Amino acid sequence: MLRIRDGGLQTLVQDMGRKEFYHLGVPPSGAADKYSYVLGNILLGNPHDYAALEITLLGPVIEFCKRTVIAITGAPCEVRLNEQPVPMWESLVIQEGDMLAFRMTTQGVKTYLCVSGGIQVPDVLGCKSTYVLSQLGGFHGRKLQAGDEVQIGEPLPGVFHQVGRRIPDEYIPAFSNEMDIRVVVGLSSYRLSDEGIKTFLNSEWQVGLESNNIAYRYTGATVSFKPFDPPFGAGNNSSNVVDIVYPIGAIMVPNEKELILLLRDATTGGGFVTIGTAINADLDLIAQSRPNTKTRFLAVTVDQAIEARLSKKRKILAVQELLR
Amino acid sequence: MFTLPETRFDFGGDEYIYAEISRDMSEESNFKALAITSELRRRQIPGILDICPSNSSYLIRFDPEVIPAANLLDYLKEIDMTKSNPAALNLEVRIVEIPIWYDDPITREYSRRFQERNIIKENISNFELVMKLNGFKEKEAFIEAHSRSPYLISMMGFIPGTAWEYPLGLRKDQIIQTPKYASPRTDTPGRAVGLGGAFTVIYPLSAPGSYQLIGMAAVPVFDQSGKLEDLRDSFFLARPGDIWKHRPVEEREYKQILSQVEAGTYRYRMKYVDFSPEEYFAKREAYIKQVMEDF
Repeated sequence: MLRIRDGGLQTLVQDMGRKEFYHLGVPPSGAADKYSYVLGNILLGNPHDYAALEITLLGPVIEFCKRTVIAITGAPCEVRLNEQPVPMWESLVIQEGDMLAFRMTTQGVKTYLCVSGGIQVPDVLGCKSTYVLSQLGGFHGRKLQAGDEVQIGEPLPGVFHQVGRRIPDEYIPAFSNEMDIRVVVGLSSYRLSDEGIKTFLNSEWQVGLESNNIAYRYTGATVSFKPFDPPFGAGNNSSNVVDIVYPIGAIMVPNEKELILLLRDATTGGGFVTIGTAINADLDLIAQSRPNTKTRFLAVTVDQAIEARLSKKRKILAVQELLR
Repeated sequence: MFTLPETRFDFGGDEYIYAEISRDMSEESNFKALAITSELRRRQIPGILDICPSNSSYLIRFDPEVIPAANLLDYLKEIDMTKSNPAALNLEVRIVEIPIWYDDPITREYSRRFQERNIIKENISNFELVMKLNGFKEKEAFIEAHSRSPYLISMMGFIPGTAWEYPLGLRKDQIIQTPKYASPRTDTPGRAVGLGGAFTVIYPLSAPGSYQLIGMAAVPVFDQSGKLEDLRDSFFLARPGDIWKHRPVEEREYKQILSQVEAGTYRYRMKYVDFSPEEYFAKREAYIKQVMEDF
């Protein structure tokens, strides 16, 4: 069991996320940076989809009531075990009664605490991920608070022999305040003028302060819509379409000065013009970008998007192979 | 039976195919979306992960490592051409009654609180605004217009349980329409009834939102507590293709129903019917009358 002494800013139980309920308006939720999360589970020999704690910016203080093995991955963060600094990206043994304290992340946004045997909460709609807006899943549908007692699985067989295993440096992601995000342009991009699409692709955008797990907001340039008779049923604003179900990663244009990019807790449908979709391989990067991060959107083809996806997958398999 | 323009397909990143049946909303487009998505669901194709019908489009999520994107696109194009006739579509739908307290103090208060974000800064409620934009002078006449026709559940999405409702059996010029907020509200009360474009939605829980608020539903559309018998098998009241009927209630009955919901004794008024889009398009209003008989 984990006894939460301080919940931090927003510490949530997450796993690979919900499947099969998107058509009812249920977003996937799940770990925002899947690469870092999965590497944590790989370090412990856990199945890739075992639930972990996802820490946002300011971390929790946790007392362990069981001897086990953990791994901390994701956004760089100062972590102390009984007041002594401990490394990230490495499996660590924890004794009963140990106190683990996370401070502020120094770069990036999401840090992961994986535990051998996984975090144990009941499945809701097929997984353990937390979706805060509807108080669904995770630990009672909410972030952790002081006083919470969170169950963890029994340490898996042999895990104590794996203490000290480390992710090789070249597989640890870089966290930066400048990034390129690859996008497949389309959906209702025909509602933007040619000039508008060019501005979207050629400008430097900044991550807004109100960005969160639902969506990232960007400002910094001005795109323009085509003159257009609003379609019947859409409402009469130039940014309105007849409401659609949005892809995760879709980039909405609610007005000429703002972009909204939908992430894992997305509002799954709505009536704003969408200019395209960020590729799956770059969603981790987006979720790790802090406010004011300078972002450029690069147009890619579907084939390039799939190639990026496969190369990321190969990287995960390579790590798994190296640590076997 | 009727003709629709050719569906436009587009990729959404590496995992989605978006199919735009029409840019306008129409019943024909929606029934086509239902016909195709139910055919796809029936076929249980490996690698197709989500099948989402929406108002005049549909969205498919797939795993490109299981099914090559180009192959799936060709496959969908073929289904779109050969299986798009809603005549073949027979829906077993539920008609569900939704009691609504129109022009209530809660949504009036939200109208006031978020006035700055609306399309006009005038100090009138969203209810009054929508009345005015649609040429209604009497509150009663507007309520009658919004509750007389049954509504088709044409899409689900936004947050869990949110259903788009589109009025059945009306000409386009008879449908109440309104622009959405210029900038979304940061909050909306759960169970609030909103209007945006030609659609009505009921907010399942408190959430941001941009639809004009015209009343409060007395009954939940999403509940995971398990206390209501009708929401025990599924947390979601709506199912695409279902039909909802609004019934105006006054404050006293609204509160009565709320306390029944709270106590877990409330049962939704519901009727199961077979709905044939083919007959609907042939007979329109007369068919609606027949389907809605003794409800």
